Amino acid sequence: MSMRRVAVVGAGMTRFVRRAMETPKELAWHASRMALDSCGLTLNDVGGVCIGSAPDAFDGVHMKGEYLSDGSGAWGKPVMRSYVGGGTGVFLGPHGWYHVASGLFDVVLVVAEEKMSSFYPHAQAAFLTIFDHTTERPLEPNLLWIFALEMNRYMQTYGISKRDIAQVAVKNKRNAADHPCAMLGEANITVEDVLNSEVLAWPVQRLDVSPVSDGAVAIVMAAEGVAERITDRPVWVQGVGWNLDTAYWTNRDLAYPEYVERAARMAYEMAGVREPRKEIHVVEPYDPFDYKELHHLEGLLLADRGKAPELTAQGVTARNGAMPVCPSGGLLGVGNPITAAGLMKVAELFWQLRGEAGARQVPGTPERGLAQAWGDLMQVGTVTILGTQRPS
Amino acid sequence: MPLDPTLHADDLRAWYGSMPVTSRYTVGPAGERFFRAMKDAARILGTRCGRCNLTYVPGRLFCERCFDELTDWTEVGPSGTIEAVTVVHLDLDGALLEPPVLMALVRLDGADTVLYHRLSGVDVADAKIGLRVEAAFRRLEDRTGSILDISHFRPAG
Ligand SMILES: [Zn+2]
Repeated sequence: MSMRRVAVVGAGMTRFVRRAMETPKELAWHASRMALDSCGLTLNDVGGVCIGSAPDAFDGVHMKGEYLSDGSGAWGKPVMRSYVGGGTGVFLGPHGWYHVASGLFDVVLVVAEEKMSSFYPHAQAAFLTIFDHTTERPLEPNLLWIFALEMNRYMQTYGISKRDIAQVAVKNKRNAADHPCAMLGEANITVEDVLNSEVLAWPVQRLDVSPVSDGAVAIVMAAEGVAERITDRPVWVQGVGWNLDTAYWTNRDLAYPEYVERAARMAYEMAGVREPRKEIHVVEPYDPFDYKELHHLEGLLLADRGKAPELTAQGVTARNGAMPVCPSGGLLGVGNPITAAGLMKVAELFWQLRGEAGARQVPGTPERGLAQAWGDLMQVGTVTILGTQRPS
Repeated sequence: MPLDPTLHADDLRAWYGSMPVTSRYTVGPAGERFFRAMKDAARILGTRCGRCNLTYVPGRLFCERCFDELTDWTEVGPSGTIEAVTVVHLDLDGALLEPPVLMALVRLDGADTVLYHRLSGVDVADAKIGLRVEAAFRRLEDRTGSILDISHFRPAG
């Protein structure tokens, strides 16, 4: 591919909170400003702006990309908003990469924002209208219910227990206790706490699920030749991938996320990764539910089918394990302002690969990390691979 | 027939659905200051960006041009100048508005941005760009901290 190499050179994020006083565009501005400040740039250095956000309904503005544009530094600049549901935050990897790799822009500001607390009384209601109006909406489905169907299918297919899965929530909420922006960090949470939490829709219980959150994240991406002048430690985009399964979510393989595997294979091929289990050193898979981290590790080919729980039980995926998974604390611990949570995962890789993750830092000197998100009607997989080595 | 233009919706299996959305919006830290001044003191506040030499109304937290945080609050108006105006004759359902409604963009004295608001107390023939106007505030007990605490704009003086 005759594309330019692209690096992440800066990142910033707001705290993730239950109910922000700030307006959505103010949240976007805080994160954008932090990302620019982190690499010593100003808006004058930014050629174009990439915005990601999930359903307009959350923030209650039916033109959300445009609404967020001033807070995202897009005044007088080319701006593009993308939206693939929950997958959007990690899709901003390919979105921003495209803008720079194509040669159109030397530097782009990439911004993700969600203010779910605006939706009244509860953000779940925003999802009532994502379903087919003819065959599904009369049954009033919501996301918790359909993910409960998927979780149960995953458990029964492979003989996985609730206790196996609860370990993921414990790991991530404990990891989040070290994150200054986290909402639900819990250093002392136990598997029993998860198993004793309120049942929402069996087998999903309260602590299996990430919270409704407000927050914003931004990163700065720059072209080869420019990135090295901005920082002596650019983190390179080595691979991107995305893939959509059937539009009929009911017809998907609920036990195995094929679309995640296809997205991962696309990214691995671009990154030249042949043995992902050896070559990916830190992983930030999408974990809006605890079982989803396991599901996604399998789809990413980082665990055998049905075997991801064993990795968790053995401590392989712990922050100091052989393959740290969600060292940030993930959506379960840091919070889940949908798109911002996805881009938080990309930002976490940036900090981890530069050795800047503070108390969250994984041991050793990780050279390559993978972020993944999932969304639309549980049928899209998005993957971004970052690494310290400039792609050849 | 595919795409038959003669079909009527009533002949089809069709139904009504809605996409109900209720939002609880916050005004943010800058909005708290702007709307509190309007509610409590009938004052209109802007924020000034010294770098860009611009005064934003309503006062904003940040400058969209240079990204500086804006902390320099300044009172503007209550008089200003009409920058654009229209006379609305039909409501959203197509019903006749009698009398017609005037909607205008007002640049308050001291501001570089404009406010979209109602204009009344003026003959349609006089509703022109350049007209000097002033904010008509609701009574203190009726103000709620909303853009509607300004009831409308009316000719100045
Ligand atoms: Zn300015």
